[in-house]
Amino acid sequence: MPSIEVREISKKFGSLVAVDCVSFEVEPGEIFGLLGPNGAGKTTSLRIILDIFKPDSGTVKVLDGPMTEDKKNLIGYLPEERGLYQDMQLDRCLVYLATLKGLTEIEARKRVNDYLARFDLMDAKKKKVKELSKGMQQKAQLITTLVHEPKIVIIDEPFSALDPVNTQMVKDLLLEWRAKGTAIVMCTHQMHQAEELCDRLALINQGRTVLYGTLKDIQHQFAREAVEVQTTVGLPSDLPGVVEVQSHNGSSLLKLAKGVRPQDILHTLIEMNIPLEKFEISLPDLDEIFIQVVKESGGEK
Amino acid sequence: MKKFWLVFAYEYKRQVLRKRFIFAILSMPLMVAFMVGIGYLSVTLNSNPLPVGYVDPYQLLSNPKQVPEAPSSAMKQVEVIRYESETAARDALNRGEVQAYYVVSANYMSTGEVTMVNNDKVGSNASSSFGNFLKYNIASGLPETTVTRLIDGNNMIIRSQDGKRELDANNWISIVLPLLSGVLFFIAVNITGGYLLQAVVEEKENRTMEILVTSVSPTQLMGGKITGDLMVGLTELFVWILFAIFGLIIAPRFLPIDQTISIEPSFLLLLVATFLPAFIVTAGLMGTVGAMATESREAQQIAGLFTLPMIVPFWFITSIMFTPNGPIAVGMSLFPLTAPISLPMRAIFTDIPAWQIVVSIGLLWVLAVFSLWLAGRVFRIGMLQYGKRLSLHDVFHRAQEWPICLKHYLF
Repeated sequence: MPSIEVREISKKFGSLVAVDCVSFEVEPGEIFGLLGPNGAGKTTSLRIILDIFKPDSGTVKVLDGPMTEDKKNLIGYLPEERGLYQDMQLDRCLVYLATLKGLTEIEARKRVNDYLARFDLMDAKKKKVKELSKGMQQKAQLITTLVHEPKIVIIDEPFSALDPVNTQMVKDLLLEWRAKGTAIVMCTHQMHQAEELCDRLALINQGRTVLYGTLKDIQHQFAREAVEVQTTVGLPSDLPGVVEVQSHNGSSLLKLAKGVRPQDILHTLIEMNIPLEKFEISLPDLDEIFIQVVKESGGEK
Repeated sequence: MKKFWLVFAYEYKRQVLRKRFIFAILSMPLMVAFMVGIGYLSVTLNSNPLPVGYVDPYQLLSNPKQVPEAPSSAMKQVEVIRYESETAARDALNRGEVQAYYVVSANYMSTGEVTMVNNDKVGSNASSSFGNFLKYNIASGLPETTVTRLIDGNNMIIRSQDGKRELDANNWISIVLPLLSGVLFFIAVNITGGYLLQAVVEEKENRTMEILVTSVSPTQLMGGKITGDLMVGLTELFVWILFAIFGLIIAPRFLPIDQTISIEPSFLLLLVATFLPAFIVTAGLMGTVGAMATESREAQQIAGLFTLPMIVPFWFITSIMFTPNGPIAVGMSLFPLTAPISLPMRAIFTDIPAWQIVVSIGLLWVLAVFSLWLAGRVFRIGMLQYGKRLSLHDVFHRAQEWPICLKHYLF
């Protein structure tokens, strides 16, 4: 049973179509990437899932049914625009927000302390939120998202304002929560992070889903006709079936002539007795796919 | 409902435990104490403890006595010294033994004519002391109670025809207190309403709103905030009333106040019945403005549109006092935004017909319910409109969303 089931949702604001017939599902124990350029409709889609907005049409099922007040306690949300009470002491702020997610004050206090220790924020516990650095506020916001042990986590740009150490910590945390069976929806512009973390993803542009599936499926969908080869000797310049060779960091990207399959090249290289250290079908990275798809489907709004 | 109480408790504690609230709650009684103190000081400074003299060439006063000191007089009486001649009195004045002397004229009994002679400015208590001295000694043959009555002067009591209400000219505190309660109400409602306004706008500005609405329904969130705000206002009023009672108990020990403070229970009931819905109206409207506006300053400017009508009755206080059943007074006590101040104000000076009280309070409750409903709706539509003010067009154009909201967000 999917944790989130979005079926053909649409939402207009005046004459602006923010979301146009978007569908996707998020399973328990997976990290689902919701990608797209600015103004693509990602945040509106998330707000519809969270029941902040009602869709004009379509349906959303959260944990096998419509959103209820009780289900809100099972969702952790990290909005793109971070929000904490700036004039409050950090621990008081986190405890209050945790109690709004259904925890008792005692339990909330205990869990907040655990997370503060884990996130190296114990020294800042009694400081006002506005006195914290941007990165510290980001970590505090993550505590608010996770402290009530949600079944669904929805995070919008989780790595912004984090240094590499904290970025790695958040990644580890997301992987840990995925392992626990939590469904995670992640919106990000950082394609390498999505590539590294997401099991499946949807790319939205101009309110519409333009790509949807596992990372591998999507990469294969956009696979250019090329192979990446690493050898201990130099490659001959006139390899049959290859129209162009690009060298980069000791590897060579061989662009294949029309109708030539990677197997044909492999066969040729073996026949030529060229010692291979690496041979793989070259798949485009998400950055390239993103730019290509956005350009093809009409760019940013 | 649990989250409603969480929001309520949070809002209440957040406001009440703030330094600015403690400052606001203490500043009012301190200001009143300061003003009373200044008034007392001013009277004391204008008094002069030196005796006054008098010359009675026509022997109108035989065997004169000093007026017994009234224990609760704001103005201290000074000793009155008799001089046999005007020359002796003038010498005493020149020596600084008296601050002034009076010469009682031959036809005093028919004209009341007395001449005062002084070198420097005399204290404000000089003439009143001598006047009381004259009255006291001229009436010396009369019974003691009659003499006291003469010195105390008139005490005009105005009673309504049915005898249910009366105004005692000497019991001025009983008249001032209801007027003061209106002022206190206005201040309390504005301070606490301002807190709510700021809280809502701040949550929009610092983006906490997005976290909150994914945890609590807008109805519970707004309901908790408004109720919390209401309790903050009531706490404020309660503390001020405690201070007032405390002040009235201890003030007579230090200040010459001789007043029997009597406020009718029916009047207190009217105050509560009027102020409670008025508080809700203000809180609801402040919440609505907070949800519509994008920043605190803008919100406060808009809020002025409905806080201003509340003080209008003070501008028409003369009209309400002299014609409490006139069209202006009646109109203002029926209009919900001016009723909280004008209805109790009218009640001091007249017997308000029961239907007017019922209509006035009824309209206030209708507006209270409407403002809560409006606050919830506007809040739902405007809560995530960062940097863009919600227009009235938005509020009513998107009214088609409301039934869905009601369905999903009822407690």
